[in-house]
Amino acid sequence: MIIEKVILENYLCYYGKKIIELSNGLNIILGENGEGKTKFYEAIEWLFQGNNQNLAVLVSKKAIHEHQVGEEFKVSVSVAFKLGSEKYIISKSFLNKKLKDGSIEPYNYSVEGIEESSNGERSQVDGKVLLDQIFPVQIRRYSMFKGESELDIFNNDDALINLINHFSDAKYFDKYAIRSTYLREQSDRAVESSVKLDKKNIQVYKGLEEEISALERKRHGLVTLTNLNEAEIQRLEQSIQEASKYVQNASDLEIYNKRIKKLEDEIARLMSLIDEGYTTKLFDENWINIYFEQYLSEYSKKVSLLSSKRRKEQSDYDTEIGIRLGEKKAKADLLNNAIPLPINVPSKLHMEEMLKDEICKVCNRDAKKGSEAYEFMYSRLKEYIDSQLTTDPSDEMQAQSLFHFDYTSKLVQLSSSHEDNLKTVRNVKEEMRDLFEFNDQRKNEILDLQQKLEAEIENRNNILGNSKLAADKLSDVLLNYTSWQNELKSCNTDHLNNINQLKNLDSELKSKKEEKNKIDLKSAKSFLLKTRDILTDIAKIFHDTKELKFEEFIQGLEKKANIFFKKINVNSFTGKIVITRKQYGNKNALTINLYEDDKPFFTPNQALETSKHIAVLFAISEIASEAHEELYPMIFDAPISSFGENKAGEFLNLIYETQNQKILLIKDFIINDKKTDKLTVKKEFDKVKRHKAFMISLKRPFDSESLKTIDSQFISL
Amino acid sequence: MESLFSKWKTKIPSYSEVHKELFNSLSSKYGSEGEKKLSLGKHFSTNYELYLYAFYLGLYNDEFVPITKQEKKTNFSYEIMNWGSKSTSLRKDFTTIQEHVFIATFAKCNVDVLELDKGNVKEDDIVRELIYTLESYTNGGLILIREELETNPNYFFQPSSFLQKLLKCKAASSKKSSIGGLTVD
Repeated sequence: MIIEKVILENYLCYYGKKIIELSNGLNIILGENGEGKTKFYEAIEWLFQGNNQNLAVLVSKKAIHEHQVGEEFKVSVSVAFKLGSEKYIISKSFLNKKLKDGSIEPYNYSVEGIEESSNGERSQVDGKVLLDQIFPVQIRRYSMFKGESELDIFNNDDALINLINHFSDAKYFDKYAIRSTYLREQSDRAVESSVKLDKKNIQVYKGLEEEISALERKRHGLVTLTNLNEAEIQRLEQSIQEASKYVQNASDLEIYNKRIKKLEDEIARLMSLIDEGYTTKLFDENWINIYFEQYLSEYSKKVSLLSSKRRKEQSDYDTEIGIRLGEKKAKADLLNNAIPLPINVPSKLHMEEMLKDEICKVCNRDAKKGSEAYEFMYSRLKEYIDSQLTTDPSDEMQAQSLFHFDYTSKLVQLSSSHEDNLKTVRNVKEEMRDLFEFNDQRKNEILDLQQKLEAEIENRNNILGNSKLAADKLSDVLLNYTSWQNELKSCNTDHLNNINQLKNLDSELKSKKEEKNKIDLKSAKSFLLKTRDILTDIAKIFHDTKELKFEEFIQGLEKKANIFFKKINVNSFTGKIVITRKQYGNKNALTINLYEDDKPFFTPNQALETSKHIAVLFAISEIASEAHEELYPMIFDAPISSFGENKAGEFLNLIYETQNQKILLIKDFIINDKKTDKLTVKKEFDKVKRHKAFMISLKRPFDSESLKTIDSQFISL
Repeated sequence: MESLFSKWKTKIPSYSEVHKELFNSLSSKYGSEGEKKLSLGKHFSTNYELYLYAFYLGLYNDEFVPITKQEKKTNFSYEIMNWGSKSTSLRKDFTTIQEHVFIATFAKCNVDVLELDKGNVKEDDIVRELIYTLESYTNGGLILIREELETNPNYFFQPSSFLQKLLKCKAASSKKSSIGGLTVD
């Protein structure tokens, strides 16, 4: 099918009736910005998709100006199609009446269709129905594109579903896949009910069912998470690649990045080793007692003196009492009437040991039984044991005791226990010195590493600095570069974990299902099991076939797209288009990427990106033609504005080779002589192969300030 | 009981209200640790840590400065026997410091224990005397900290400042000793 003719009447900048006759193959319409190119595209768009809203804005201002008050005139867009030997005209129009205030009143909006048979017989039909018959809406969706951005049709989630629904064989299997899945589920349930009849099984079976369903839910979530993570990895790789492309020597950059990372890790490790909690250590490590020894010594002297004084006073007192009362109690007196040691020194246990061994272990001399030394020790021990016995309150000695309390001995005890522990206090200086030295060493190492790090960062900045980026954007890149790389690292780790988790989940699911199956085999009725097996197989066949058809379609699309892509990109990019299918939950999505040397190439320039999209579109168009056994026209407005004239020329020559009718509106190959305001076509355009070419230009002279002077016209080239 | 230490540690020593601001700014009331403590600008996890530090600083510098009668006393309602009694993943128990403080206080305090043993003096009187000594050295230490802050508000900014201050005390004697990067006179 081709568009033979487009007729515009009083539509926007097209005043009066404008007829443009197109040819099969490549039709090129040249036009500077503002001359009416896009309005031409929009006129066709309005015919195909528009409605009767805001009709007044579509009316040519010049037409309004040229008509008298009360006069009627028509606005219309018509397209004449040729399909085999049949011809069809579809027109959309409305009438206008000019009012006294200069405005217009649109009315009588209509869409008409005319069928013209090969013998020239014409019949009028519903225009909308006719349009959908000859140029189905799902094909029109992939036939008209405005600007380069619209070429990326897979930007929109439904695009893929539409494409598959209309052009892939997978759609035929959809209903069977759904039905067979339903039947399989029913048979599963029948088996389960039969198994549950056996009460012994209920508990175990229910438990297994719950476990399986929990595992499946977990798996579903994990798959979605993995896909999202993959998308994130791709996004990060893309960002890094984009940033790197501004850098002249990307491999050097990578080396510097690795070195910087290593240095940063080492600095962080050393920093974590430094312990500067000095104030806390004053308490927790007893550092605050660094000079404690001198106070302990003062204390010990004091209490020792106290103890000695106490014993002296006691001894004097005892002597006095002894004289007064007569020797009531035998006492072990010391030589020269010296002050005895406290009664509990040496301890009872030590005294007993010395008596048993018949040695005085204090002065290291024999104390054989019966000797004076032995008797001395024996009487001291007896004295101590007696002092611990409850004494008779009537005892005169006790009643007249000099000391009623013994705070002193507790003070003495405290002294000896701390004398024993002096080692810890003496070690404080050493500990402090060690820690300070350790921290200082680490700080020096860090300083050293920081200098190295600064040098490496400087080197990296030099590389980044030799970039094509403006300073503000460069700082953005610098800012993000490291964080992207860190994120990428953690995403990759997550990804690996997810994959492992998925594997584990799958094997767990498998074993649970097998366990459940064993119960089924033991308990369910055999005919039910057989039915279930058959239905499971059928469901699997439909499902697999649907998937296969889906994959085949994608592969076909990719193959066709690459054929076009290669043609469009002759002598430049050597990579290829890779179309990948991703599932997010129950949704399918397609991503179209460029690959070079088996790696995604994330940073194509706009021209390469456009080539990619156009290649995919041509591929879809070809698939559509094959599916409908008909070739359909494609209309593009400014699809290659990023190409530059040379590449545009090459591109157009390639389009020329393709089969179906193409109407391209482009702004290349025009010279605007600013002095004379005259538009001419460049000589280079002569070399561009085409079947027909036009130039759209406004009729000169016109007043750019006044729309009523505007009238675009087609000049056949 | 017949143990001065056991009685002494049931007491809550006081400090002069003029130093209240020091406690507010240098110690963290609720015992926060690690980064939280430092982000609050606090060096001491608890009020009694600052109290202990001030005591040692006063003691080591021989700054025995009794709180005058004109000054109002205050405390943080926490008996000595509970000081240092915590052991978390971040901190160690240091309750033995109670004995160290007692020993040092007793060494510096003139009390007649024999009179106590004889029953001529009350236990409470001796303990009061010991607490008075503790409070006086602490007061001396707090004054030293305040003076340091008044001369140089950023003095305690460094993590080692409090330790350094302690190492520069009179008790370090005339012998020069060098610890790590610090030279102590």
